[in-house]
Amino acid sequence: MAILELKKVQKTFGSGRTKVEAMKETNFEAQQGELVAVIGPSGSGKSTFLSIAGGLQTPTAGEVRMNGTALTDLKEKKRAALRLKEVGFVLQASNLVPYLNVGQQMQLLDKVKKGNMSKAESEALYQSLGIDHLLCSFPKDLSGGERQRVAIAKALYTNPSLILADEPTASLDSDRAFEVMRMLKEITEEKQTATIVVTHDTRLIEDCDKVYQMTDGNMELQEKERYTV
Amino acid sequence: MFLAWNEIKNNKLRFTLVIGVLVLISYLVFFLSGLANGLEQLNREAVDKWEADGVILTEESDLRLQQSIVSADDFDGAGVDEYTELSQLSAIASHGDKKENVFIFAVDEASFIMPNVTEGNAFADEGEVIADDTLKEDGFEIGDEISLSSTEETLEITGFTDKARFNAAPVLFTDLNTLETLQYGEMAEGDNDAVNAFVIRTDNLDSVEADEALQVVDTETFIENLPGYTEQNLTLTLMIYFLFVISAVVLAIFLYVLTIQKISIFGVMKAQGISSQYLAGSVVAQTFLLSLAGVMIGLVLAVVTGLFLPAAVPVAFNYIEMLVYGMILIAVSVIGAFISVQTIVRIDPLRAIGG
Repeated sequence: MAILELKKVQKTFGSGRTKVEAMKETNFEAQQGELVAVIGPSGSGKSTFLSIAGGLQTPTAGEVRMNGTALTDLKEKKRAALRLKEVGFVLQASNLVPYLNVGQQMQLLDKVKKGNMSKAESEALYQSLGIDHLLCSFPKDLSGGERQRVAIAKALYTNPSLILADEPTASLDSDRAFEVMRMLKEITEEKQTATIVVTHDTRLIEDCDKVYQMTDGNMELQEKERYTV
Repeated sequence: MFLAWNEIKNNKLRFTLVIGVLVLISYLVFFLSGLANGLEQLNREAVDKWEADGVILTEESDLRLQQSIVSADDFDGAGVDEYTELSQLSAIASHGDKKENVFIFAVDEASFIMPNVTEGNAFADEGEVIADDTLKEDGFEIGDEISLSSTEETLEITGFTDKARFNAAPVLFTDLNTLETLQYGEMAEGDNDAVNAFVIRTDNLDSVEADEALQVVDTETFIENLPGYTEQNLTLTLMIYFLFVISAVVLAIFLYVLTIQKISIFGVMKAQGISSQYLAGSVVAQTFLLSLAGVMIGLVLAVVTGLFLPAAVPVAFNYIEMLVYGMILIAVSVIGAFISVQTIVRIDPLRAIGG
């Protein structure tokens, strides 16, 4: 089942001489239980893709469907509600609120959305991510790796069907980066989510099921072996 | 409230500074309101004590008691429930080295404006007076012979009454004959019927039938025309209103700067689907908590200060008025927070995604 579908999606900014095609006609699909990598250099259009996939902005043309719902037809308020329900973001600079401790980061999600993880489920998640001893710690007291693991926990806490990770390993050393990718792979399989990882680091695609390459706004499905061999 | 409270808890220094500024502003508002109230009382206590509905003065007096001279026969009480004559004189009263600016009110002992006696006895003979008890604090006592700046005659204090100041000076109450003697000395014949005004009680001032040369005014208008009274009240009220505006602006600036600092994290939260409404509610709740804390501390500090002020400082707190001012301060602070709310609504969740 396709969790996310992009059909003939385009995004342009400006007009006339200042017109920039950030995303040329693109087709994309992420299935349930699939870990998909979108790779490409800076300025290739990865962030534009991620923001359209997450419903943060609307495409100039084409259609985006999340679990069958056409995002392009929704107003921002409804898209925000859909993001809260269906999408878990793991962001480059971590998505933690600086004045809430780890436990409170999850409590905040309980304040704004029902149907999140139960206490037992969340405890199991914290344990699997190795952050169960950090619940009373604030983001400033965590290492880069710990922050990213908490960010993953936060993204998963709302039981999303789609996880969008924007350079989730950017601030980590190689060992930690591989660890995070392995974790995302396990979670994707276990929770049967669709996980899309946007990265410029081709070393991290080993565990991915599909790899898309973005170059100057063009997105193409690639053979994974091209990068891993 | 969850976000608001946790942010305050984890940024104690920052929010203590914000509360500190609000404490200072609210302290000033409460202190000024106490001062305005005290000065108001200082001017009108003796008139309020009459519990009268109106005053009859001459048309040409411009509502000034001392400029109004009427004959006791000029008004016969037509259209009122009760009325009485009032004469007044201002002077410097002295006893030994104690000196005080006073008003002398001459009243009919049987009239409704005869003051209550809180200590000692009422005046019975000529030359006797009941004094406002603030003179006690200046060292005047029952039995003191007081001399006046404008006459050779002396007066004896036989008793004290409370809350009897007029136009910022304590009042000495005496009978009409004594005042005539003070005004005319040996020339006084005891049959002078000139008085300054008539004080009346009636349900309907329009029904009062007075001579064309006289004007009937309600007590509040009479008070408002006391020299300097309205100007003083307006000045202090204006200062208080300015402080409301300053409070709103200061808090709005603080919150706006704090919001600007948090734009990226608000962007992340909005990207995660947390609504602008929830984030805006959090800022409003935070403003409410900060202003409530600032106003409460300011209120307590003002009341405590009032306990230690010397009697010469005319501060009188009206707690209901203070509560109203406190609520206005909180309300204008919350209104000030709406600039930040607008900023939050405009934050694009796209900011959460790096380029």
